Amino acid sequence: MKKWKETMKINFILNRKKVSLDVEPMKRLLDILREDFGLLGTKEGCGEGECGACTILLDGEPVTSCITNAIHADGKEIFTAEGISKEDDGKLLIECFDETNAVQCGFCFPGFLVSSYNYLQTDGEENLDKIKMALSGNICRCTGYQKIFESVLLACKRRVR
Amino acid sequence: MKKSVRKFDAIPKLNGSWKYLDDYQYDEIIYGQFLLSKFHHGKIKEIIFPIGYDLKEFTFAKVEDIRGINIVPEPVNDQPFMVDDEIMHKGQVIMGIAHKDKKILQKFINAIEVKYKKLPAITDPKICLNDEKNHFGKIDIIDHRTKTPIASNWIKNHSVYYTPHQEQAYLEPQGTIAIYNSDKNEMYIRVTAQCPFYVKSAVKNILGETVDSVVVESTEGLGGAFGGKEDFPSLLSGVAALLSYKCHKPVKIVLERNEDIAITTKRHPARIELTTYTDFQTKKIKKLEIDYRLDAGAYQTCSTVVMSRGILHSCGGYGISDVYIKGRLFRSNTPINGAFRGFGAPQGFAAIEAHIDSIAKTLKMDSYEFRKVNIFQKGDEFPTTQPITENNLEDCLDRVIQKSDYHKKIIEFAEWNKTHKNKKGIGMAIAFHGGGFTGNGEKNIKPRIKVTIDKNAMVRLFVSSTDMGQGAHTTLAQMFSEAINHPRKKCWVQLPKTSETPDSGPTAASRTIYIVGNLLAEKAREIKQELGFDNLEEYVKIHQNDFPKEYFKIYIPPDYVTFDDAKNIGIAYRDFSWGACVNEIIFHADTYKIELVKSWNVLDIGKIINEKIAVGQVEGGVLQGLAFGTTEYLFKPGFGRIQSFTDYTLPTTLDIPKIEVEFIHSDNQMAKGLGEIPMNFPAPSIRNAFHFATGILIDEYPLIPERIFEKMERNNEN
Repeated sequence: MKKWKETMKINFILNRKKVSLDVEPMKRLLDILREDFGLLGTKEGCGEGECGACTILLDGEPVTSCITNAIHADGKEIFTAEGISKEDDGKLLIECFDETNAVQCGFCFPGFLVSSYNYLQTDGEENLDKIKMALSGNICRCTGYQKIFESVLLACKRRVR
Repeated sequence: MKKSVRKFDAIPKLNGSWKYLDDYQYDEIIYGQFLLSKFHHGKIKEIIFPIGYDLKEFTFAKVEDIRGINIVPEPVNDQPFMVDDEIMHKGQVIMGIAHKDKKILQKFINAIEVKYKKLPAITDPKICLNDEKNHFGKIDIIDHRTKTPIASNWIKNHSVYYTPHQEQAYLEPQGTIAIYNSDKNEMYIRVTAQCPFYVKSAVKNILGETVDSVVVESTEGLGGAFGGKEDFPSLLSGVAALLSYKCHKPVKIVLERNEDIAITTKRHPARIELTTYTDFQTKKIKKLEIDYRLDAGAYQTCSTVVMSRGILHSCGGYGISDVYIKGRLFRSNTPINGAFRGFGAPQGFAAIEAHIDSIAKTLKMDSYEFRKVNIFQKGDEFPTTQPITENNLEDCLDRVIQKSDYHKKIIEFAEWNKTHKNKKGIGMAIAFHGGGFTGNGEKNIKPRIKVTIDKNAMVRLFVSSTDMGQGAHTTLAQMFSEAINHPRKKCWVQLPKTSETPDSGPTAASRTIYIVGNLLAEKAREIKQELGFDNLEEYVKIHQNDFPKEYFKIYIPPDYVTFDDAKNIGIAYRDFSWGACVNEIIFHADTYKIELVKSWNVLDIGKIINEKIAVGQVEGGVLQGLAFGTTEYLFKPGFGRIQSFTDYTLPTTLDIPKIEVEFIHSDNQMAKGLGEIPMNFPAPSIRNAFHFATGILIDEYPLIPERIFEKMERNNEN
């Protein structure tokens, strides 16, 4: 029987930098980001992929990193809130969230930033229904979502196409 | 003043650099976890630790290790930190255990076998609340009866309403870090909590005289609370402190979400029975009797205070001269229930606002017209004899009716409903909320603030109010800066730390801006007057030798605020916020689902300090309120308690209506309470909208499809 290797080497691009890591293949991507790379913006809210506080982009797809294993990162490109906040669309979104005073406790917002950024990158139409759908994987308990919609609509409007 | 100063913490929260509890790291930190009871009621016979582990690697905090007392400080001191003799509920803490490796700790705790002697248990809130035997004993009464006999033309309406648990569902789970410093013999706590001084008292309780000092500091980011981080952090930090004291290492406990849902406080389930008599001719409610019951859980703790606020709000905004209200707490074998936005008031409004619509239906009146006959008028009084001094509640109602085009819609919808399977509904509710602590609360706690001004004219504000997302630290600083006429960027609220911050009271009871903020603004005006400057910056430059300066101020309520706590007579709250809403729904006949279409909300919260922050607070509160009425429940008969976010149905972006918010009477000089009032009216108005749409009044929240289906089937059978 083939012996199970305890760790494996994975290579991926993290916030535009090439990285590699020896890691247990089943380690949660969330823990890798927080523990191995110190990227604390990715939060654990529920640990079961429901709340979206740990949302990251994996090859351009928003995924909940608390239910994604390390092995899935191998060879892929990852963006976290820290990385997105340095991108043009990320900066634009932050400006809009800030301007509308949308942020309350903020624990869910790195996840919202990731999903909103993904919407801007993949569609970006100033369309409330589409925005609601794009953000439906992220739960916010503070805001009632109204100012989040307002912010993303504002970002769509201001975005240079 | 409608400035919307931006929040100072928004950008770091967005880019991930703002620190929440689990983001703090300390050298040699180890992890703590609770061993929790798996049974609802019983006695522990034996605890068997698994073999194959070196017990010396673990630290244990057991009842016998407690150096002080095994009591979590609360208004009623009846809850132990850890099981002493009898397990009273599932999820009760048996002991705290710590280890350097989280995974090993988890495995170890899962493998511990606890042998119990099982005892009978009550876990269903309705069973608990329906049985008088479960009553804790104390009865809280508001007696405003007149001796007027019941007249023959008075119509009697009687109903019983139930409301369920509600989970606060703050996105950041509960957590704490305890660090014992043996050199200083000091216990330091870093915690995500609303009330650092509550935590300090708890740690002092459990450690007794063994440490010289206890210092509690708030985390930079507090990932939501809504009342849920008012008292539970006391128990959590107490046990963590004991672990750290024993092993001399920093101990971090962060609850997993399922653990958090299972063991932390929730909104109290309630059973509220109303009896009214209404004069058929004048349509005035002549007599109101309320039996208000809360399921406190296994211990009373702060539930007495919740009940007090609950009964004080349960009469609704109606001028009724003959009122009798009886409030009681009931015991179940479930974790204690505690603070949650509204604090007993949403349960009361759930009942009275449905009942009002029900009476209107009996009288064949439109529910707005019926409210207009009975709504508070200047000259009326609360059942506590407190006079009503303004008609602002009626103004809120009139404005929201106008905004929502209510009169036109009731005709249109009634017509539309005749020919459609799906039904359109529109409903209203009114509410109020007393600002600050009830009765003599503010007088008793004597809230204090500290202000320092340094040689660079930098102002530091020291208050124990935490910023849990409501924007308190932005708004408080804004209030001070505007009152003293000094740039906002030179006025900063400091992170609450009990060794440096005076106790300005807990972050609760819609009191942060109303009490602490107004106190800061008053101090700012006093300083300005005392020093006689127009420009603080220039004054400091000229008078360098006088700085740094330190100022203190204590809040003293006006003399007329007196309240007899035993008899519930007098001024229960100095100021009230008022609000009214209208909600529009579509009931889908095939799926039995209520679609929320639009929500209009009009409030009087006095002066608006920061309009965007205030609107955001209302929008968030309204959605929590709507969910209380339509989707959220924790206990399901035959299933038990829900354990995760997968099953606990929090609203997502796809489930929500457009929420409109308007403030009136904001020319008031006083900023009143804001945090809680939005929670009081949305759910009842949804129930009333459903009542309008279908003619069926459902006596229990939430109005989930299963419940609606059952009720409709039962109606059809009858």
